[in-house]
Amino acid sequence: MTRHALDLTINGESHQLMIEPHWSLLHVLRGELGMTGTKENCLEAECGVCTVLLDGKAVNSCILLAEQCRGRSIVTIEGLGDPEHLHPLQAAFIKHGAVQCGYCIPGMIMTAKSFLDERRGHVPSEAEVREALSGTLCRCTGYQKIVDAVIAAARQRNSWPEEARRS
Amino acid sequence: MSSLERRVAGKRLNRIDGIGKVTGKHVYAADFALPGMLFGKILRSGEAHARIARLDVAKALALPGVRSVLTAQDIPQIRFGTAIKDRTMFAEGEVRFRGEAIAAVAATSLEIAEAAVRTIEIEYEPLPAVFDPEEALLTGAPLVHAGWNDYQALPVFDREGNISGRSAIGGGDVEAGFARSYRVYEHRFTTQHVHPGYTEPRAAVASWDGNGDVIVWTNTQLPFDMKNMLAEVLDLPASKIRVIVPGIGGGFGGKLRVGVEHYAAWLARKSRRPVRVITTSEEELTDAYPRQPTVVTLKTGVSRDGLLLARQGRVILDCGAFANSGPATAAIALQVLAGPYRTPHLAFEGLAVYTNKGATGSFRAPAGPMANFAVESQIDLIADDLGIDPLEIRLRNIYREGDTGPAGETLASVSIEECLTKAAAAIGWSERKPGEGRGKGLACSWWLTTGGSSGVYVRINPDGTVTLISGAVELGSGAITGAAQILAEELGVDLTDINVTDVDTHSSPYDYGAQGSRTAFSVGNACIAAATDLRRQIFELVATQWNVPAASLRLENKSVVGGDKRMSLADVASLSQRMGGGLISHGTSIQPMPVFDPNRVKHHPLPAWTSHSFHAHAVDLSVDSITGEVSINRYVVAQDVGYAINPTYIEGQIEGGVAQGIGQTLSEEIVYEDGRVLNANLTDYKMPTMMDMPRVECILIEKPSVNGPYGAKGVGEPPCIEPPAAIANAIAVASGVRVQSLPITAEKIALRMNGGR
Repeated sequence: MTRHALDLTINGESHQLMIEPHWSLLHVLRGELGMTGTKENCLEAECGVCTVLLDGKAVNSCILLAEQCRGRSIVTIEGLGDPEHLHPLQAAFIKHGAVQCGYCIPGMIMTAKSFLDERRGHVPSEAEVREALSGTLCRCTGYQKIVDAVIAAARQRNSWPEEARRS
Repeated sequence: MSSLERRVAGKRLNRIDGIGKVTGKHVYAADFALPGMLFGKILRSGEAHARIARLDVAKALALPGVRSVLTAQDIPQIRFGTAIKDRTMFAEGEVRFRGEAIAAVAATSLEIAEAAVRTIEIEYEPLPAVFDPEEALLTGAPLVHAGWNDYQALPVFDREGNISGRSAIGGGDVEAGFARSYRVYEHRFTTQHVHPGYTEPRAAVASWDGNGDVIVWTNTQLPFDMKNMLAEVLDLPASKIRVIVPGIGGGFGGKLRVGVEHYAAWLARKSRRPVRVITTSEEELTDAYPRQPTVVTLKTGVSRDGLLLARQGRVILDCGAFANSGPATAAIALQVLAGPYRTPHLAFEGLAVYTNKGATGSFRAPAGPMANFAVESQIDLIADDLGIDPLEIRLRNIYREGDTGPAGETLASVSIEECLTKAAAAIGWSERKPGEGRGKGLACSWWLTTGGSSGVYVRINPDGTVTLISGAVELGSGAITGAAQILAEELGVDLTDINVTDVDTHSSPYDYGAQGSRTAFSVGNACIAAATDLRRQIFELVATQWNVPAASLRLENKSVVGGDKRMSLADVASLSQRMGGGLISHGTSIQPMPVFDPNRVKHHPLPAWTSHSFHAHAVDLSVDSITGEVSINRYVVAQDVGYAINPTYIEGQIEGGVAQGIGQTLSEEIVYEDGRVLNANLTDYKMPTMMDMPRVECILIEKPSVNGPYGAKGVGEPPCIEPPAAIANAIAVASGVRVQSLPITAEKIALRMNGGR
């Protein structure tokens, strides 16, 4: 199939790609760029492990065409924090024991970031967190410690570093 | 020694692999890729039982980008299997379930491989099929394996026709017991296929090296078992197989056995290129290792005051087209049926039965939820009939310290009374029906800590860090963090000083594998052994240097101390590198088998349980009087963990296990119709989401085991055992409807509330 040029902005960096028009963003991230922090499972937007941010909003990268991301800003888990400078959500997930096998966690954290950024300054209730994150399946944790981690991170938003507070 | 006196063990410390996992840097098998790698795809049967009349792969081979196509004609058809060698890599002449592999393609892209598979031409001649395990037992039923008698099998199993394994456990005289009973109850319960639901699909990348060894990167729970299975299927010595496990995204018993690895290895051999094979959700729900459906019948005789006098029961377990762990699972069901109750006269039988459906496996606590659903539902039915409180009837019958178990073994560290009373108190048992449409239920059980041996190598490095090399995989439970906490405790270092390597069967010591709630237990014990030997090495080396007796030395604050002298562990490790080849030890562990009475068990691969745990669950729920929808208000688990190595991750095991149990109870089922899966996608296979889960309140009870590290017992599997029965019992109180088949969907409840059946 004929490939065409596409520039994508991922985690603030520009990537010049040659893609086939039907490729998903997930395929481009994992297959073309080797950015495997974004995970792959059901490929039909049911499990949520492939969630990334598109212009700050959580999207399932498995059903999003890469072409649809032209001129927009993509943030993946690799762009959130690194081992020396964890994003407060990442730190909270570790502290609260919210991570087990970890395969759903990048998607879960990206969804949580989008949710908290949307309602800046608001500390969500448990029910609000459960509704907002219900699109990502986790089979290990029973979700409880994930809910606790998200609420704890939201409570401390005022003390987040400036970089993390930006969406 | 209580946890208060320990520095590292017993503490809520962060897991050692957490940072890699939250930053996306942890590499899972599904993330692993090699340069020049091809993509494999499998052609699967569209018939449940048929002869393959014609198979033509010419068009697939001709497709640009296709590098190899394999069918049964191209490779030696070697039969393999856990209990019975009844399966081949590709259906040979005959397919036995809809979804069985017939051919495989490797191509330069997954899309080309998929397109190639679609061009393969196949014609079937249908054969009579059997889908219901009870029908499969009837005389004249179609045989799933006409040649069953020629298969190799473990000698312990008793097989015949569609029965892939029959086992029994019991003693006394049940007929005499029933004759003396005040009342005798007979009930029947059924359970469904449930998928383990790991979020990372099964994935493998295979590559052949210059020595003719095949390296397989895979997310298996049992790398050493995988090595042996691959050696069989590839017809090579096991030393030519190297299995490496990068990260693994959940397993729950569904990643124990060969799944995609053999296809990757054979396609790579044929293509002379690395090949990756990864499953789709559809493949997961049609050809994986889900929990077996069961039919359980129980006949129970009791005295007027509710004492169990005689129990007879039968578990029919539908293992699908291949036996895999079915015969062992049917056998383990018998201990779950027996315990945790004293019964003088006992006769249980388990049958694993072939049908023309997908194979099944060892999903977390194999047989646990199915058998417990039957026993604990029936106990409530009996309690209600006799007018005895369900908690009280349990307390009258439970095992006590020193009792005799189902196989005649002596039971130690029995904590079931404490589990029951604490769970009941926490849920507010005195008010069992707090309002209209609301009710509370209880269930309890016991479970084993699986044995098998573990080896670890532990090395102290010249920078003072410690490397733990284990053959056990970190599934996600935190078990390896737990083992590392024990190691840190024993060596007097911090958890953050310990590094753990990936499992590589060419270099890691043997481990029986991440299964059976054994990892923290067995690897923890091996770590204690390794640390003991390292302390000896350290003290002997320093004693020579300082010219003092080794017995006068001790470890303190990451240093060896003797009199007024002190040497850091880092310096001891450096010294050892210069003079003694470095500080390294090999620690091993094996759990002793208990003494049991062989006359009480027949054809049973696990006749007596070791380091058993006890647990009780209590739930408070509401049932919508119109829709039948169940909402869980509170859920309490009291579990005896022996010793809580890291309470945070133990709670994580309990919360996650309950979530799986709630899924099995209320919503999950792989639905078959005439051998076809109707819901092979994650939209229609309904696992609990964050909105479906209540908070789970955990009560950790620590009654030490004799064999576990610091008294620990196996933790991981038990939490998914009791939810079906506890919830069914609460639904009966809340709605007056007793459902004896899983899943207990809102539809089933609503229909029954409105007088249907």
